Amino acid sequence: MSATESVPPAPARPGGSLTTVAAQMFGADFLKLRRKLSTVIWSLVLALAPLAIFFVVRAIQHSSTPAEHPPAGGLDGFSDGLRLLALFMGPLAAILIGAEAGAGDHAAGVFRDLVVTGRSRLALFAARVPAALALCWSVMLGGFALLLIGTFVFASNMPTPSGTLILEAIGFTLLATGVVCTVAVGLASLTTSRPATITALIGWQLVASPLIANIESLGGARDAVLSQSLAHFSPVALHGHMGSVVSMGAATAILVAALWLAVFLGLGAWRTRTMDA
Amino acid sequence: MARAATVRQSRPMPLNEQDLIIETAGLTKRFGERAAIDRVDLRVPRGCAFGFLGPNGAGKTTMIRMLLGLTHASAGSMRLLGHPLPAERAAALRRVGAIVEEPRFHPHLSGRENLRIVAAARGPEVRARIAPALARVGLAERADEKVKRYSLGMRQRLGVARCLLADPLLLILDEPTNGLDPAGIQEFREMIRTMVEHEGRTVFLSSHLLDEVEKICDAAAIVDRGRIVTQGPIAELAAGGDGVRHELILGVDDVELALSTLAAEDLVYDVRRSDEGLRVVLAGEPQTAAAVNVALVRAGVGVLRLDPVRHSLEQRFLEVTSRLEGGGGQALASAPSDGGSAAEEVTA
Repeated sequence: MSATESVPPAPARPGGSLTTVAAQMFGADFLKLRRKLSTVIWSLVLALAPLAIFFVVRAIQHSSTPAEHPPAGGLDGFSDGLRLLALFMGPLAAILIGAEAGAGDHAAGVFRDLVVTGRSRLALFAARVPAALALCWSVMLGGFALLLIGTFVFASNMPTPSGTLILEAIGFTLLATGVVCTVAVGLASLTTSRPATITALIGWQLVASPLIANIESLGGARDAVLSQSLAHFSPVALHGHMGSVVSMGAATAILVAALWLAVFLGLGAWRTRTMDA
Repeated sequence: MARAATVRQSRPMPLNEQDLIIETAGLTKRFGERAAIDRVDLRVPRGCAFGFLGPNGAGKTTMIRMLLGLTHASAGSMRLLGHPLPAERAAALRRVGAIVEEPRFHPHLSGRENLRIVAAARGPEVRARIAPALARVGLAERADEKVKRYSLGMRQRLGVARCLLADPLLLILDEPTNGLDPAGIQEFREMIRTMVEHEGRTVFLSSHLLDEVEKICDAAAIVDRGRIVTQGPIAELAAGGDGVRHELILGVDDVELALSTLAAEDLVYDVRRSDEGLRVVLAGEPQTAAAVNVALVRAGVGVLRLDPVRHSLEQRFLEVTSRLEGGGGQALASAPSDGGSAAEEVTA
């Protein structure tokens, strides 16, 4: 350690506009996430591998028995792949990313060092959400690119999705995974535990949600299942397919998704603001 | 640095509120029924190295966590750099750097990237301080390695660099030399003294290591079981808190003659036999030892040795804590407190 080298003094007043500070904090949180290789790799695996397997298996089936199996790509392949990406495997990747964003500082033990900067705890919490979304959506766009490649490469003589449908499907994918990712950020900030968050949300997404959605006696209560409300926004018909069994109006779907966001963001923010660091 | 190896000289502790960088009144933290911090009145003057000394579990870290807004106080008030907490927390912490317990970082990021994270939270202007801060702690060459490859000593250095990003008027360091090798500890002490003496920063250093506090700090508070037992300049604390008394050990050829000679001297406050020789308590400054020597020689006493007694903070610490062990908190409460002295015996 050098006892004499100097560090530039602080200005009399803190500099930077709110936008600049927010951009820097977003950049810092995004840096933490994108350099976490285990999270990035597993997210990519979850988003890309099932799609790749889906197209390869269907292409093999089609090439072996074309009469029984249609081409892997085309509009049908696009619809099935979209369901897989936006409602099934994509949300799992989103959960991994959201859990890391929400609980990463606590797991590393650096949350207290961020609090000591004097920065508002709510600001520290708020920076996690766009950073998580940025990584989540980057991964999803990678997955969507693979979906388009499979759709067009294996289309054979089948119709392919229009430009409008592709744009709507991108929006749907980003919406569905973004909501789940944000919920994961909130829950992870509440529990301050990545394993607990990942276990709870994957359990909910893969086990509890389909179960509840299929219990018809629950009636309108099934509208509260997040994956069902998100499925409502799909640009391709899902009803009766994996991931969508409950019909609801657009207003209900929006309200349910907004409530999930509000509850988990509220709980995460509350916990971040009040907890002992 | 030679100064770091010597005991700091006693100097008056300013008690003017404007000169206090940390001030607490009746600060209390309870965990259920148990008071981890019990009605603490702490006053840390600006521009010094202040030791917060106590055994493990005494409440040092809890106190620091309250000061930094990491946990809420159950009762009492605090001011940091003149700002009331928690009302003006952001303003108070803007020029505060802290290491609480062991410094922690994102292990998958490099040292430089970890500082970027904190710089982003502190403000855009702070980024320019990352490289100088890394150079200051000797990590410039390894700043781009992942922190998971750093030794504990390197992490301590990186923790100090993180503190420097704030250009801190106040550094709060919790057991800062943990994990440092002897050379690192010595460098660390020098850096602390440089920060205090040449840069005008205040360092609040919590430690259970008496030697560390004695060598680095100008003043200290001794804390035990959530209470500040005593606080003041190191030399006054070591001397007992009721004014500095300088002592000598004398070896003489005629003990009886020396006793009678010294008993008649105004320069001597007290003299008695001890295993080591005659223990003489001077009435005045250390320089009066020479006059004592002259008086003895004039009286025909041969002076074989004359050693100043170095009061040890450790002695004082053990004395204070042993009194507490014996339920002697009241003994401290009734101990005379010198109104003009900065060494205060405090009980809650």
